[in-house]
Amino acid sequence: MPGLLEIHNLSKSFDATKVIDNFSLEVVEGTLCCLVGPNGAGKTTTLDLITGRIKPTGGKILFANEDITAKHEHVIARAGIGRKFQVPAVLRDLTVRQNLEVSYSRQTNPFWNLFKFRPAGLKTKLDEIATLAGLTGRLNERAGILSHGETQWLEIGMVLMQEPRLLLMDEPIAGMTEVEIEKTARIFKDLRKTATLIVVEHDMGFVREIADVVTVMHMGSLLAQGTIRQVEADPRVRDVYLGEQEAA
Amino acid sequence: MGNLYHNKTAQWIAYGVFFAVLAIIPLTVDDSFLLNQFATYGVYGMLALSISLCWGFGGILNLGQGIAFGLGAYGMAMTMQMQSQTESNPIPPFMLNNSLDHLPMLWQPFQSTGTGMVLAIAAPTLFCAVFGGIMFRARVSGPFFAIMTLAMLSAFYTIILDRQAYTGGVNGLTPPSAFQFAGVEIDPYSPTAYWVVFCFLMGATVVAKLITQSSFGLVTQAIRNDAERVRFLGYSVAGYETVIYTISGLIAAIAGCCWVMLVQYVSPAQLDVSFSLSMVIWAAIGGRLSLLGSIFGAFLIQGAQSYLGDTFLATWLLILGGFFILVVRFLPNGLASLLESGLGLLATKRPSPAAQSNGDAKPMPAE
Repeated sequence: MPGLLEIHNLSKSFDATKVIDNFSLEVVEGTLCCLVGPNGAGKTTTLDLITGRIKPTGGKILFANEDITAKHEHVIARAGIGRKFQVPAVLRDLTVRQNLEVSYSRQTNPFWNLFKFRPAGLKTKLDEIATLAGLTGRLNERAGILSHGETQWLEIGMVLMQEPRLLLMDEPIAGMTEVEIEKTARIFKDLRKTATLIVVEHDMGFVREIADVVTVMHMGSLLAQGTIRQVEADPRVRDVYLGEQEAA
Repeated sequence: MGNLYHNKTAQWIAYGVFFAVLAIIPLTVDDSFLLNQFATYGVYGMLALSISLCWGFGGILNLGQGIAFGLGAYGMAMTMQMQSQTESNPIPPFMLNNSLDHLPMLWQPFQSTGTGMVLAIAAPTLFCAVFGGIMFRARVSGPFFAIMTLAMLSAFYTIILDRQAYTGGVNGLTPPSAFQFAGVEIDPYSPTAYWVVFCFLMGATVVAKLITQSSFGLVTQAIRNDAERVRFLGYSVAGYETVIYTISGLIAAIAGCCWVMLVQYVSPAQLDVSFSLSMVIWAAIGGRLSLLGSIFGAFLIQGAQSYLGDTFLATWLLILGGFFILVVRFLPNGLASLLESGLGLLATKRPSPAAQSNGDAKPMPAE
């Protein structure tokens, strides 16, 4: 099966510092790929490059066989890539309901949207996602007053409202309770049936539970890739990442 | 929960009452001078509305709304001026004084009332679309955009002042007779003129309100909150910003046309920085997040200026400035927020079962 997302020899330098160095990755459709690595390995920067937040200095990114390298953020989002940020980014002045409504971005043309008041299919989808995210009782609250955990759920809900083909999740379980982490794992596994996921996560227990493929990054390049078993057995990975974690 | 202020039905009822009151005015006011003055307040209301739409909902502070207003006003004045030119007297007198012996190209389309009116509306709207498009694509935002609009305004002011042979310079244009539309003369002191302004104000308000309630309005509010985040949802932020800025400019251009119809006069003063700042102050005092609040702010400030301004003369500006500081300090969302918190208190005191059934009433940060 061809990769839904293909990253070829990606590089990004800030001045003289190489943050991403000749990084390549292929994510097969319908799988869940976990991106791990020590702090500063370039995981979030990779997501920034995929979603167009920053432009690469070299290399190519293909999504569904289309070149999306250095395209604008909204063009990439429309192509079918949704993203949850490391620091949860919700629209704090709007209500939870409005946050979810605005994320249902099937129609993005400003002129069409002038004449749209209740997008078709919105209500069903909103109810479904609100239930999934456990926010049904909070729909009319301002998003700014939610707790950290609820904010995480809201942003996950927003990404799901977008119905993307590829979901990028940057540290989705930070600040969640054990029960919520289990629920997240269940949801992610479910999502694999209809979408492809890249999850950046530090919690190896969580990674062990959900990952089909684990990609380890170190100093901006690919260190190892494989199943969780293969990766954990890799001495280089133990050296730079896992060993470090156990020592900590 | 259940704050009447956020109830959509209640909002539309408030709009209905507001315009019903405005509609009664010409039936009760006999003084034609007063009626004309009230009609000009309607024009200021339209300007405050346009600022509220752009700044309150879109989060785009525009200190140069005088551009759209002024260009619309000049277009209208040129149309009216040409209406009073005849075959034997084809050139406006001020041009003769500036030793022009033929009508310049710029003026020729205004010989036709229809073309002139279309241009008076289309030129400022097109300007907003192009200028806004360039700025927003380059991701110029916040105070930087405000400064750009201010600079643009000053540029237009200078050009109009400087090109005396074409614009009448500092004297501006004073079309000698009232506006003729389809053979009917609209006397600026007649109820007809009032009704024209009333209809445009009501039309613009209803359209603006519908825009804020549409999916477009929701995206715009999301952009005001966090433009960076909205991009990752697939919306072109620049596109939305350009459209809301252009619609706001269109309303201001219509206001400019109405204004000249009422006062038969336009000069560079309409593109003066202080006038554009007044528009922002009206919206800020009335409540920029509320369309109706902003219109009310314009009525309040301009009304006070007409009646207290004469009494206090120069001190009036000090009073206005002091009032502005008070509002910004204690009511950052303007007088409308006073009503919002008042109705909010009422709702919490009496948690009625009606509030339950009103699940759709969302605390829109707008209105």
